Amino acid sequence: MAPLTSEEYKVLEQSRQRLVQLTRSLGSLVSSLEQGDPLPPWSSLQSQASIISNNLISVTEHLSDHRDLLSSIVAYPGPEYPGRTQENMLQQLMRTKLDPRVEDWVARGRIAGTESSPSALDFSRTIPNPSAAVNTSTKQLTEPELKELWEWAPVEANQEARQRNWGGHYTLEEREAGIQNVVTGLRRQLEDDDASEDEDEGDEDEGEDEMEVVGVHRKSSGGIEFDIAPHHARAVEPVVPLDKILRYMTTGHMP
Amino acid sequence: MHELLLFASVPVHQHHGLLQQLAGLTAMQPRHALERRLIFKAFRKPGLITGRVGGSQDLQQASAGDLQRVNKMLNGGMFYTQVVGPVSNHDFAPTSKSVSTPDADTQMAGVDEPKPPAPAPSEAAHVYDYDQQTWKLEFRDIPEAATRSAVTTRVMASAALPRGDIEPSMNAWGYGFVTEYLVEGDVFIHNDIVIFLHRVLHYPTGEKEPREPRRNLPPLKKMAPLEKTGSYVLQASITVQDGSNQETMKTASQHLLGLREQLKSAVRLEPADRLSLDTRAK
Repeated sequence: MAPLTSEEYKVLEQSRQRLVQLTRSLGSLVSSLEQGDPLPPWSSLQSQASIISNNLISVTEHLSDHRDLLSSIVAYPGPEYPGRTQENMLQQLMRTKLDPRVEDWVARGRIAGTESSPSALDFSRTIPNPSAAVNTSTKQLTEPELKELWEWAPVEANQEARQRNWGGHYTLEEREAGIQNVVTGLRRQLEDDDASEDEDEGDEDEGEDEMEVVGVHRKSSGGIEFDIAPHHARAVEPVVPLDKILRYMTTGHMP
Repeated sequence: MHELLLFASVPVHQHHGLLQQLAGLTAMQPRHALERRLIFKAFRKPGLITGRVGGSQDLQQASAGDLQRVNKMLNGGMFYTQVVGPVSNHDFAPTSKSVSTPDADTQMAGVDEPKPPAPAPSEAAHVYDYDQQTWKLEFRDIPEAATRSAVTTRVMASAALPRGDIEPSMNAWGYGFVTEYLVEGDVFIHNDIVIFLHRVLHYPTGEKEPREPRRNLPPLKKMAPLEKTGSYVLQASITVQDGSNQETMKTASQHLLGLREQLKSAVRLEPADRLSLDTRAK
Protein backbone atom coordinates (compact mmCIF):
# COMPACT_ATOMS: atom_id res chain seq x y z
CA MET A 1 0.00 0.00 0.00
CA ALA A 2 1.24 3.42 -0.89
CA PRO A 3 2.42 5.59 2.00
CA LEU A 4 0.19 8.51 2.98
CA THR A 5 0.68 11.87 1.36
CA SER A 6 1.10 14.97 3.51
CA GLU A 7 -2.48 15.99 2.66
CA GLU A 8 -3.78 12.77 4.03
CA TYR A 9 -1.67 13.15 7.14
CA LYS A 10 -3.22 16.54 7.64
CA VAL A 11 -6.72 15.07 7.45
CA LEU A 12 -5.85 12.53 10.07
CA GLU A 13 -4.31 15.19 12.27
CA GLN A 14 -7.44 17.35 11.94
CA SER A 15 -9.68 14.46 12.94
CA ARG A 16 -7.54 13.92 15.97
CA GLN A 17 -7.73 17.58 16.98
CA ARG A 18 -11.48 17.73 16.60
CA LEU A 19 -11.92 14.62 18.66
CA VAL A 20 -9.65 16.08 21.32
CA GLN A 21 -11.80 19.21 21.42
CA LEU A 22 -14.93 17.13 21.72
CA THR A 23 -13.56 15.05 24.56
CA ARG A 24 -12.37 18.18 26.33
CA SER A 25 -15.73 19.90 26.22
CA LEU A 26 -17.45 16.67 27.28
CA GLY A 27 -14.97 16.36 30.12
CA SER A 28 -15.59 19.92 31.29
CA LEU A 29 -19.35 19.39 31.27
CA VAL A 30 -18.98 16.19 33.26
CA SER A 31 -16.67 17.80 35.79
CA SER A 32 -18.88 20.85 36.22
CA LEU A 33 -21.83 18.55 36.82
CA GLU A 34 -19.91 16.45 39.29
CA GLN A 35 -18.12 19.17 41.19
CA GLY A 36 -20.51 22.10 40.96
CA ASP A 37 -22.42 22.41 44.22
CA PRO A 38 -25.04 23.69 43.71
CA LEU A 39 -25.32 22.77 40.07
CA PRO A 40 -24.13 25.45 37.64
CA PRO A 41 -26.87 27.75 36.34
CA TRP A 42 -28.90 26.53 33.42
CA SER A 43 -27.47 29.17 31.14
CA SER A 44 -23.96 27.83 31.59
CA LEU A 45 -25.14 24.24 31.06
CA GLN A 46 -26.93 25.40 27.97
CA SER A 47 -23.85 27.06 26.58
CA GLN A 48 -21.71 24.01 27.33
CA ALA A 49 -24.26 21.82 25.60
CA SER A 50 -24.19 24.03 22.55
CA ILE A 51 -20.39 23.91 22.50
CA ILE A 52 -20.52 20.13 22.58
CA SER A 53 -23.11 20.05 19.87
CA ASN A 54 -20.96 22.31 17.69
CA ASN A 55 -17.98 20.03 18.31
CA LEU A 56 -20.07 17.02 17.32
CA ILE A 57 -21.17 18.74 14.15
CA SER A 58 -17.62 19.60 13.20
CA VAL A 59 -16.44 16.04 13.90
CA THR A 60 -19.20 14.45 11.88
CA GLU A 61 -18.80 16.88 9.01
CA HIS A 62 -15.11 16.20 8.96
CA LEU A 63 -15.61 12.44 9.05
CA SER A 64 -18.16 12.45 6.27
CA ASP A 65 -16.09 14.82 4.15
CA HIS A 66 -13.13 12.47 4.23
CA ARG A 67 -15.13 9.29 4.31
CA ASP A 68 -13.36 7.79 1.30
CA LEU A 69 -9.91 8.31 2.70
CA LEU A 70 -10.72 7.30 6.26
CA SER A 71 -12.50 4.11 5.26
CA SER A 72 -9.65 3.01 3.03
CA ILE A 73 -6.85 3.57 5.53
CA VAL A 74 -5.55 0.49 7.28
CA ALA A 75 -3.64 0.81 10.52
CA TYR A 76 -0.81 -1.56 11.39
CA PRO A 77 2.04 -1.41 13.88
CA GLY A 78 5.43 -0.34 12.59
CA PRO A 79 8.36 -2.67 13.04
CA GLU A 80 9.92 -0.45 15.70
CA TYR A 81 6.81 -0.54 17.94
CA PRO A 82 7.63 -2.27 21.28
CA GLY A 83 4.94 -4.90 20.79
CA ARG A 84 6.03 -7.10 23.64
CA THR A 85 6.13 -4.55 26.42
CA GLN A 86 3.13 -2.49 25.31
CA GLU A 87 0.83 -5.24 24.23
CA ASN A 88 -2.26 -3.89 25.94
CA MET A 89 -1.89 -0.50 24.34
CA LEU A 90 -1.31 -2.13 20.98
CA GLN A 91 -4.50 -4.13 21.29
CA GLN A 92 -6.45 -1.04 22.23
CA LEU A 93 -5.12 0.77 19.21
CA MET A 94 -5.64 -2.11 16.85
CA ARG A 95 -9.13 -3.17 17.82
CA THR A 96 -11.61 -2.94 14.99
CA LYS A 97 -14.70 -3.80 16.93
CA LEU A 98 -16.27 -1.28 19.29
CA ASP A 99 -16.26 -1.73 23.02
CA PRO A 100 -19.43 -3.62 24.04
CA ARG A 101 -20.62 -0.64 26.11
CA VAL A 102 -20.06 1.71 23.22
CA GLU A 103 -21.84 -0.66 20.93
CA ASP A 104 -24.87 -0.49 23.20
CA TRP A 105 -24.84 3.34 23.06
CA VAL A 106 -24.61 3.32 19.31
CA ALA A 107 -27.47 0.88 19.06
CA ARG A 108 -29.61 2.99 21.38
CA GLY A 109 -28.79 6.09 19.38
CA ARG A 110 -29.74 4.46 16.12
CA ILE A 111 -33.05 3.24 17.51
CA ALA A 112 -33.80 6.72 18.85
CA GLY A 113 -32.92 8.20 15.47
CA THR A 114 -35.18 5.92 13.50
CA GLU A 115 -38.06 6.37 15.96
CA SER A 116 -37.97 10.15 16.04
CA SER A 117 -37.65 10.82 12.36
CA PRO A 118 -39.68 9.11 9.69
CA SER A 119 -37.08 10.10 7.18
CA ALA A 120 -34.24 8.62 9.18
CA LEU A 121 -33.92 5.85 6.65
CA ASP A 122 -32.63 8.35 4.18
CA PHE A 123 -29.75 9.11 6.48
CA SER A 124 -28.97 5.56 7.33
CA ARG A 125 -26.38 5.18 4.64
CA THR A 126 -24.45 8.30 5.56
CA ILE A 127 -23.23 9.38 8.94
CA PRO A 128 -26.23 11.20 10.39
CA ASN A 129 -25.75 14.90 10.88
CA PRO A 130 -27.05 15.75 14.34
CA SER A 131 -28.35 19.16 13.40
CA ALA A 132 -30.18 17.76 10.42
CA ALA A 133 -31.63 15.08 12.62
CA VAL A 134 -32.94 17.70 15.01
CA ASN A 135 -34.54 19.62 12.18
CA THR A 136 -36.33 16.62 10.84
CA SER A 137 -37.68 15.39 14.16
CA THR A 138 -41.03 17.14 13.77
CA LYS A 139 -43.23 14.65 15.48
CA GLN A 140 -46.94 14.97 14.85
CA LEU A 141 -48.90 15.76 17.98
CA THR A 142 -51.63 13.34 18.84
CA GLU A 143 -55.20 14.53 19.21
CA PRO A 144 -55.21 14.73 23.06
CA GLU A 145 -51.86 16.54 23.02
CA LEU A 146 -53.18 19.12 20.61
CA LYS A 147 -56.23 19.60 22.78
CA GLU A 148 -54.06 20.08 25.82
CA LEU A 149 -51.96 22.64 24.01
CA TRP A 150 -55.00 24.66 22.98
CA GLU A 151 -56.35 24.65 26.49
CA TRP A 152 -53.04 25.80 27.91
CA ALA A 153 -52.10 28.47 25.40
CA PRO A 154 -54.88 31.09 25.83
CA VAL A 155 -54.52 31.15 29.62
CA GLU A 156 -50.77 31.46 29.43
CA ALA A 157 -50.91 34.18 26.76
CA ASN A 158 -53.42 36.11 28.83
CA GLN A 159 -51.21 35.95 31.89
CA GLU A 160 -48.24 37.18 29.93
CA ALA A 161 -50.33 40.00 28.54
CA ARG A 162 -51.47 41.13 31.96
CA GLN A 163 -47.88 41.68 33.06
CA ARG A 164 -47.52 44.54 30.63
CA ASN A 165 -48.89 48.01 30.42
CA TRP A 166 -50.27 48.21 26.92
CA GLY A 167 -50.24 51.20 24.67
CA GLY A 168 -48.04 52.26 21.83
CA HIS A 169 -46.24 50.15 19.34
CA TYR A 170 -43.11 49.36 21.26
CA THR A 171 -42.28 47.73 24.55
CA LEU A 172 -40.27 49.53 27.18
CA GLU A 173 -37.31 47.24 26.55
CA GLU A 174 -37.42 47.98 22.85
CA ARG A 175 -37.67 51.70 23.52
CA GLU A 176 -34.66 51.62 25.80
CA ALA A 177 -32.61 49.69 23.33
CA GLY A 178 -33.57 52.13 20.61
CA ILE A 179 -36.65 51.63 18.47
CA GLN A 180 -34.71 51.85 15.25
CA ASN A 181 -33.23 48.43 16.03
CA VAL A 182 -36.57 46.68 16.42
CA VAL A 183 -37.36 44.20 13.71
CA THR A 184 -41.10 44.56 13.23
CA GLY A 185 -41.34 42.74 9.94
CA LEU A 186 -43.63 45.49 8.72
CA ARG A 187 -43.10 47.54 5.61
CA ARG A 188 -44.80 50.66 6.92
CA GLN A 189 -43.11 52.84 9.48
CA LEU A 190 -44.63 52.67 12.95
CA GLU A 191 -44.73 56.05 14.57
CA ASP A 192 -43.60 56.36 18.13
CA ASP A 193 -46.54 58.29 19.51
CA ASP A 194 -45.32 58.30 23.09
CA ALA A 195 -42.69 60.86 22.30
CA SER A 196 -45.17 63.62 21.57
CA GLU A 197 -47.43 62.97 24.51
CA ASP A 198 -45.67 64.96 27.16
CA GLU A 199 -46.84 68.33 25.98
CA ASP A 200 -49.76 70.41 27.21
CA GLU A 201 -48.90 69.91 30.81
CA GLY A 202 -50.55 72.96 32.22
CA ASP A 203 -50.24 76.47 30.98
CA GLU A 204 -50.05 78.42 34.20
CA ASP A 205 -47.59 80.97 32.96
CA GLU A 206 -49.28 81.83 29.74
CA GLY A 207 -47.71 84.46 27.55
CA GLU A 208 -44.28 83.03 28.09
CA ASP A 209 -42.72 80.62 25.70
CA GLU A 210 -42.32 77.25 27.33
CA MET A 211 -38.73 76.22 27.51
CA GLU A 212 -38.22 72.60 26.76
CA VAL A 213 -35.72 70.76 28.87
CA VAL A 214 -32.91 69.57 26.70
CA GLY A 215 -29.34 68.72 27.32
CA VAL A 216 -30.03 67.42 30.81
CA HIS A 217 -30.36 63.87 31.97
CA ARG A 218 -30.59 62.11 35.28
CA LYS A 219 -27.46 60.49 36.55
CA SER A 220 -27.73 56.86 37.60
CA SER A 221 -26.37 57.81 41.00
CA GLY A 222 -29.03 60.48 41.45
CA GLY A 223 -28.88 64.16 40.64
CA ILE A 224 -28.71 65.59 37.19
CA GLU A 225 -26.00 66.05 34.67
CA PHE A 226 -25.69 68.37 31.73
CA ASP A 227 -24.69 67.33 28.30
CA ILE A 228 -21.54 68.87 27.04
CA ALA A 229 -22.42 71.66 24.70
CA PRO A 230 -22.89 70.11 21.29
CA HIS A 231 -20.52 71.09 18.60
CA HIS A 232 -22.08 74.00 16.85
CA ALA A 233 -21.89 74.70 13.17
CA ARG A 234 -21.41 78.41 13.73
CA ALA A 235 -19.21 78.26 16.79
CA VAL A 236 -18.02 81.78 17.49
CA GLU A 237 -15.70 82.19 20.41
CA PRO A 238 -15.91 85.47 22.27
CA VAL A 239 -13.28 87.99 21.22
CA VAL A 240 -13.38 90.23 24.25
CA PRO A 241 -12.19 88.37 27.34
CA LEU A 242 -14.44 88.14 30.36
CA ASP A 243 -12.39 90.42 32.57
CA LYS A 244 -12.48 93.20 29.98
CA ILE A 245 -16.25 92.98 29.89
CA LEU A 246 -16.43 93.06 33.67
CA ARG A 247 -14.07 96.04 33.75
CA TYR A 248 -16.30 97.90 31.33
CA MET A 249 -19.36 97.06 33.37
CA THR A 250 -17.67 98.34 36.50
CA THR A 251 -15.97 101.51 35.34
CA GLY A 252 -17.08 102.19 31.78
CA HIS A 253 -13.58 101.82 30.34
CA MET A 254 -13.87 100.60 26.79
CA PRO A 255 -11.92 97.40 26.23
CA MET B 1 -24.06 92.92 52.89
CA HIS B 2 -21.70 90.62 51.08
CA GLU B 3 -21.98 89.15 47.66
CA LEU B 4 -20.38 85.91 46.50
CA LEU B 5 -19.94 85.48 42.78
CA LEU B 6 -18.82 83.17 40.04
CA PHE B 7 -18.59 84.09 36.38
CA ALA B 8 -18.38 82.33 33.07
CA SER B 9 -18.14 83.46 29.51
CA VAL B 10 -20.80 81.94 27.27
CA PRO B 11 -20.27 81.94 23.49
CA VAL B 12 -23.35 83.03 21.60
CA HIS B 13 -23.90 79.65 19.98
CA GLN B 14 -24.20 78.06 23.39
CA HIS B 15 -26.62 80.65 24.72
CA HIS B 16 -29.86 79.02 23.66
CA GLY B 17 -28.89 75.59 24.92
CA LEU B 18 -27.69 76.99 28.22
CA LEU B 19 -30.96 78.89 28.70
CA GLN B 20 -32.81 75.63 28.38
CA GLN B 21 -30.42 73.80 30.66
CA LEU B 22 -30.81 76.49 33.29
CA ALA B 23 -34.57 76.38 32.92
CA GLY B 24 -34.39 72.66 33.54
CA LEU B 25 -32.05 72.99 36.49
CA THR B 26 -33.98 75.74 38.22
CA ALA B 27 -37.41 74.46 37.19
CA MET B 28 -38.48 77.96 36.19
CA GLN B 29 -38.93 79.93 33.06
CA PRO B 30 -36.26 82.56 32.45
CA ARG B 31 -37.24 86.03 33.60
CA HIS B 32 -36.15 88.42 30.93
CA ALA B 33 -34.46 91.53 32.24
CA LEU B 34 -33.45 94.79 30.60
CA GLU B 35 -31.55 97.28 32.72
CA ARG B 36 -30.19 100.71 32.04
CA ARG B 37 -26.94 101.01 33.88
CA LEU B 38 -25.43 104.42 34.50
CA ILE B 39 -21.84 104.58 35.65
CA PHE B 40 -20.98 107.39 38.01
CA LYS B 41 -17.57 108.30 39.28
CA ALA B 42 -16.75 110.18 42.46
CA PHE B 43 -15.07 113.49 41.69
CA ARG B 44 -14.90 115.06 45.12
CA LYS B 45 -13.05 114.10 48.16
CA PRO B 46 -15.51 112.59 50.56
CA GLY B 47 -16.51 114.70 53.47
CA LEU B 48 -16.89 117.88 51.46
CA ILE B 49 -20.60 117.43 51.06
CA THR B 50 -22.38 119.93 53.21
CA GLY B 51 -25.90 119.46 52.12
CA ARG B 52 -28.18 118.68 49.26
CA VAL B 53 -27.67 121.02 46.39
CA GLY B 54 -30.16 121.60 43.61
CA GLY B 55 -31.77 118.90 41.55
CA SER B 56 -35.29 117.65 41.48
CA GLN B 57 -35.80 116.98 45.13
CA ASP B 58 -38.05 114.01 44.95
CA LEU B 59 -36.13 112.50 47.77
CA GLN B 60 -39.15 112.16 49.98
CA GLN B 61 -39.98 109.09 47.99
CA ALA B 62 -36.96 107.30 49.26
CA SER B 63 -37.18 106.41 52.88
CA ALA B 64 -35.07 108.19 55.44
CA GLY B 65 -33.20 104.99 56.15
CA ASP B 66 -32.26 104.61 52.54
CA LEU B 67 -31.01 108.18 52.44
CA GLN B 68 -28.76 107.58 55.38
CA ARG B 69 -27.39 104.44 53.79
CA VAL B 70 -26.80 106.24 50.53
CA ASN B 71 -24.87 109.00 52.28
CA LYS B 72 -22.80 106.50 54.15
CA MET B 73 -22.02 104.55 51.02
CA LEU B 74 -21.12 107.54 48.97
CA ASN B 75 -18.84 109.13 51.50
CA GLY B 76 -16.70 106.13 52.22
CA GLY B 77 -14.08 106.79 49.58
CA MET B 78 -13.64 107.44 45.89
CA PHE B 79 -15.57 104.86 43.98
CA TYR B 80 -17.28 104.13 40.76
CA THR B 81 -20.86 103.31 41.41
CA GLN B 82 -23.76 102.17 39.31
CA VAL B 83 -27.28 103.39 39.02
CA VAL B 84 -29.55 100.71 37.67
CA GLY B 85 -32.92 101.34 36.13
CA PRO B 86 -35.13 98.48 34.96
CA VAL B 87 -36.78 99.06 31.60
CA SER B 88 -39.00 96.93 29.42
CA ASN B 89 -39.17 96.12 25.75
CA HIS B 90 -41.92 98.67 25.28
CA ASP B 91 -39.75 101.49 26.53
CA PHE B 92 -37.65 101.36 23.41
CA ALA B 93 -38.54 103.43 20.41
CA PRO B 94 -40.48 101.40 17.85
CA THR B 95 -38.61 100.66 14.69
CA SER B 96 -40.09 101.70 11.39
CA LYS B 97 -39.65 98.17 10.18
CA SER B 98 -41.48 95.15 11.46
CA VAL B 99 -40.32 94.18 14.92
CA SER B 100 -39.87 90.54 14.17
CA THR B 101 -36.32 89.43 14.74
CA PRO B 102 -34.46 87.82 11.87
CA ASP B 103 -32.63 85.19 13.86
CA ALA B 104 -35.29 84.50 16.47
CA ASP B 105 -33.09 85.40 19.37
CA THR B 106 -34.58 84.63 22.75
CA GLN B 107 -34.31 88.22 23.82
CA MET B 108 -37.28 88.99 21.65
CA ALA B 109 -39.49 86.15 22.81
CA GLY B 110 -43.05 87.29 23.10
CA VAL B 111 -42.70 90.60 21.27
CA ASP B 112 -42.29 89.46 17.76
CA GLU B 113 -45.82 89.91 16.59
CA PRO B 114 -45.31 92.20 13.64
CA LYS B 115 -46.80 95.61 14.24
CA PRO B 116 -47.83 97.94 11.46
CA PRO B 117 -45.15 100.56 10.88
CA ALA B 118 -45.71 103.43 13.26
CA PRO B 119 -45.88 106.71 11.35
CA ALA B 120 -44.75 108.82 14.25
CA PRO B 121 -43.39 107.94 17.68
CA SER B 122 -46.12 109.97 19.33
CA GLU B 123 -48.70 107.53 18.06
CA ALA B 124 -47.06 104.57 19.68
CA ALA B 125 -49.06 103.07 22.49
CA HIS B 126 -46.29 103.52 25.00
CA VAL B 127 -43.70 106.27 25.20
CA TYR B 128 -40.69 106.02 27.44
CA ASP B 129 -41.01 108.53 30.24
CA TYR B 130 -37.63 109.37 31.63
CA ASP B 131 -39.15 111.30 34.52
CA GLN B 132 -40.89 108.18 35.76
CA GLN B 133 -37.86 105.91 35.46
CA THR B 134 -37.10 104.18 38.75
CA TRP B 135 -33.51 103.92 39.83
CA LYS B 136 -31.51 101.89 42.26
CA LEU B 137 -28.05 102.73 43.45
CA GLU B 138 -25.81 99.71 43.47
CA PHE B 139 -22.56 100.05 45.28
CA ARG B 140 -19.91 97.37 44.91
CA ASP B 141 -16.59 97.35 46.68
CA ILE B 142 -13.46 95.87 45.13
CA PRO B 143 -13.49 92.10 45.73
CA GLU B 144 -11.77 90.99 48.89
CA ALA B 145 -8.15 90.19 48.39
CA ALA B 146 -6.21 87.17 49.53
CA THR B 147 -9.25 85.06 50.21
CA ARG B 148 -8.26 81.53 49.46
CA SER B 149 -11.80 80.56 48.61
CA ALA B 150 -12.66 79.76 45.04
CA VAL B 151 -15.34 82.42 44.75
CA THR B 152 -15.27 86.18 44.36
CA THR B 153 -16.42 87.95 47.52
CA ARG B 154 -17.17 91.64 47.83
CA VAL B 155 -19.04 94.09 50.00
CA MET B 156 -22.20 95.37 48.38
CA ALA B 157 -25.05 97.66 49.17
CA SER B 158 -27.97 99.03 47.29
CA ALA B 159 -30.58 101.66 47.93
CA ALA B 160 -33.60 103.05 46.17
CA LEU B 161 -33.20 106.43 44.49
CA PRO B 162 -35.74 109.04 43.46
CA ARG B 163 -37.48 108.65 40.16
CA GLY B 164 -36.69 110.54 37.05
CA ASP B 165 -33.64 112.63 36.36
CA ILE B 166 -31.05 111.26 38.74
CA GLU B 167 -28.02 113.17 37.57
CA PRO B 168 -28.49 116.37 39.67
CA SER B 169 -28.82 114.26 42.79
CA MET B 170 -25.75 112.26 41.98
CA ASN B 171 -23.81 115.44 41.19
CA ALA B 172 -24.83 116.83 44.53
CA TRP B 173 -23.40 113.75 46.19
CA GLY B 174 -20.15 114.27 44.39
CA TYR B 175 -20.61 111.86 41.55
CA GLY B 176 -20.19 112.61 37.87
CA PHE B 177 -21.82 110.75 35.04
CA VAL B 178 -19.35 108.63 33.09
CA THR B 179 -21.26 106.52 30.66
CA GLU B 180 -24.25 104.30 30.37
CA TYR B 181 -25.06 101.01 28.76
CA LEU B 182 -27.84 98.51 28.65
CA VAL B 183 -27.76 95.02 30.11
CA GLU B 184 -30.07 92.47 28.66
CA GLY B 185 -30.38 88.94 29.87
CA ASP B 186 -32.35 86.33 31.77
CA VAL B 187 -32.58 85.75 35.48
CA PHE B 188 -33.03 82.40 37.14
CA ILE B 189 -33.32 81.66 40.82
CA HIS B 190 -31.86 78.39 42.03
CA ASN B 191 -32.38 78.00 45.79
CA ASP B 192 -30.35 80.89 47.19
CA ILE B 193 -28.41 81.51 44.00
CA VAL B 194 -29.34 84.20 41.51
CA ILE B 195 -28.21 83.21 38.04
CA PHE B 196 -28.01 86.05 35.55
CA LEU B 197 -27.13 85.25 31.96
CA HIS B 198 -26.58 88.63 30.38
CA ARG B 199 -24.65 90.77 27.98
CA VAL B 200 -23.87 94.43 27.57
CA LEU B 201 -25.51 96.41 24.79
CA HIS B 202 -24.23 99.74 23.53
CA TYR B 203 -26.39 102.58 22.44
CA PRO B 204 -26.04 103.23 18.73
CA THR B 205 -22.96 105.23 17.99
CA GLY B 206 -22.82 108.11 15.56
CA GLU B 207 -24.27 110.81 17.72
CA LYS B 208 -21.90 112.50 20.12
CA GLU B 209 -21.42 110.71 23.43
CA PRO B 210 -23.84 112.54 25.70
CA ARG B 211 -22.71 114.06 28.95
CA GLU B 212 -25.82 113.00 30.82
CA PRO B 213 -28.17 110.04 30.89
CA ARG B 214 -30.37 109.65 27.85
CA ARG B 215 -33.91 110.90 28.02
CA ASN B 216 -35.06 108.73 25.14
CA LEU B 217 -34.24 105.18 24.25
CA PRO B 218 -33.36 104.14 20.71
CA PRO B 219 -34.95 101.10 19.09
CA LEU B 220 -33.74 97.97 20.84
CA LYS B 221 -32.67 96.48 17.55
CA LYS B 222 -30.21 99.29 16.99
CA MET B 223 -28.36 98.41 20.17
CA ALA B 224 -25.07 96.67 19.49
CA PRO B 225 -23.47 94.17 21.85
CA LEU B 226 -20.23 95.28 23.48
CA GLU B 227 -18.77 91.91 22.62
CA LYS B 228 -19.00 91.89 18.84
CA THR B 229 -19.72 88.18 18.58
CA GLY B 230 -22.66 88.63 20.94
CA SER B 231 -21.37 86.36 23.68
CA TYR B 232 -22.96 86.33 27.12
CA VAL B 233 -21.71 86.46 30.66
CA LEU B 234 -23.08 83.97 33.16
CA GLN B 235 -23.07 85.32 36.68
CA ALA B 236 -24.06 83.26 39.68
CA SER B 237 -24.35 85.17 42.92
CA ILE B 238 -25.46 84.73 46.50
CA THR B 239 -26.11 87.70 48.76
CA VAL B 240 -25.24 87.29 52.42
CA GLN B 241 -26.73 89.75 54.88
CA ASP B 242 -24.12 89.31 57.58
CA GLY B 243 -20.73 89.00 55.96
CA SER B 244 -18.95 88.69 59.29
CA ASN B 245 -20.63 85.38 59.99
CA GLN B 246 -18.06 82.89 58.77
CA GLU B 247 -20.52 80.02 58.93
CA THR B 248 -23.00 81.66 56.55
CA MET B 249 -20.26 82.74 54.19
CA LYS B 250 -18.92 79.21 54.08
CA THR B 251 -22.35 77.74 53.38
CA ALA B 252 -22.94 80.26 50.64
CA SER B 253 -19.66 79.57 48.89
CA GLN B 254 -20.31 75.85 49.16
CA HIS B 255 -23.67 76.34 47.46
CA LEU B 256 -21.99 78.28 44.67
CA LEU B 257 -19.36 75.62 44.22
CA GLY B 258 -22.11 73.03 44.15
CA LEU B 259 -23.75 74.87 41.28
CA ARG B 260 -20.40 75.10 39.55
CA GLU B 261 -20.08 71.32 39.86
CA GLN B 262 -23.57 70.82 38.44
CA LEU B 263 -22.90 73.02 35.45
CA LYS B 264 -19.40 71.70 34.99
CA SER B 265 -20.06 69.94 31.74
CA ALA B 266 -21.82 72.96 30.22
CA VAL B 267 -19.89 76.01 31.39
CA ARG B 268 -16.90 76.67 33.60
CA LEU B 269 -17.87 79.02 36.40
CA GLU B 270 -14.86 80.72 37.88
CA PRO B 271 -14.05 83.59 40.19
CA ALA B 272 -13.42 86.81 38.32
CA ASP B 273 -10.13 88.62 38.05
CA ARG B 274 -10.15 90.84 41.10
CA LEU B 275 -8.78 93.91 39.37
CA SER B 276 -11.38 93.75 36.63
CA LEU B 277 -13.99 94.38 39.31
CA ASP B 278 -12.00 97.21 40.88
CA THR B 279 -14.45 100.00 41.61
CA ARG B 280 -11.97 102.39 43.20
CA ALA B 281 -11.64 105.68 41.34
CA LYS B 282 -8.00 106.57 40.91
